[in-house]
Amino acid sequence: MKRTYLKILVIGALLSLACTTKVSEWVLLNSDSEKYLLVYFHQNELTESEIQQNKELENHFTPANLFFKTIKREDIEKPYYALYFNNQLISEYAGSAEMKNIVTSPLREKTRNELMAGKLCVMVYLKCGNNEKDAKGWSTLNQTLEASPFGKIISLVELDRNSVEESLFVSMLLNVESDLKEIQEPMLFGVFGRFRALEPLLAKGISAENINLMIDFFTADCSCLIKDQLPGQSILCKGNWDDPQPARVNAILDATPELMHR
Amino acid sequence: MKQDTIAYDSLSARPLPKWLTDQRDGLNTYQPEKFEMKEDRTLQVSLISTGVVILLTVVFLTIYFLRKNKKRN
Repeated sequence: MKRTYLKILVIGALLSLACTTKVSEWVLLNSDSEKYLLVYFHQNELTESEIQQNKELENHFTPANLFFKTIKREDIEKPYYALYFNNQLISEYAGSAEMKNIVTSPLREKTRNELMAGKLCVMVYLKCGNNEKDAKGWSTLNQTLEASPFGKIISLVELDRNSVEESLFVSMLLNVESDLKEIQEPMLFGVFGRFRALEPLLAKGISAENINLMIDFFTADCSCLIKDQLPGQSILCKGNWDDPQPARVNAILDATPELMHR
Repeated sequence: MKQDTIAYDSLSARPLPKWLTDQRDGLNTYQPEKFEMKEDRTLQVSLISTGVVILLTVVFLTIYFLRKNKKRN
């Protein structure tokens, strides 16, 4: 009988929270990451050592938003691995040694930790290599965050477009929209939830007005419209998303209710 | 990718992300249902039904008393 009461209480509490949870918190708690696909293409039957090697890789990748499968193909000379997202090729690898770090990197680890620590979002500033342009966008971003009441709960990270260590992270960010690879401009990605990157602001679009709209998007009540058409794209990342720290945005909104969206 | 980039001629003509324009235009929030006033005929219906009931009662009672009087005569 007590269990029934408890269930009713929990369901009631969840229902009462349903429409007041903020976008950033709701996505982190409820929206699973989209999966990447890693394929091992091979010409002949798999040998014991290949099976063992793939098993080790799978274990090494767990837990990450990654599926692994093997495909036999006659038209290849050497076996290789290929990473896909939504049927789009992200990268290819000749051997398993090259792939040890595909599910993690220092910046992705840092970003994940910030999201799990209850931060509203992580803003990833992808530099284009043109110092003047990069400095301008960076300055606008810093000024806007300093002036924002939510500035302290937003993490800001810089990422070099030519970074070797973070090359796969850069590649996945540039895959969020089909034309980003050709655009040599600084870009600002809002990363939230379980490592989901919004379509970026870029070049002149990195303005105080647009950055504040991005913050508004994360701090708004999560409507069914957002849940159904969640913008952005998941980034491949290793880690468990259970039990994040409470969202810090709620403390700010409780203390200053005038910041609530009307 | 569902909201992927559409074709454009120059970077300045490149459209802003959909999440941003929706947020700016207030389309991300719950849109309450619009209530429209419908024509109210309840008063007419009420008057007509009351009239019908009164008429039927008068007719019924008239017939009842006429028959009763006939029997007496």
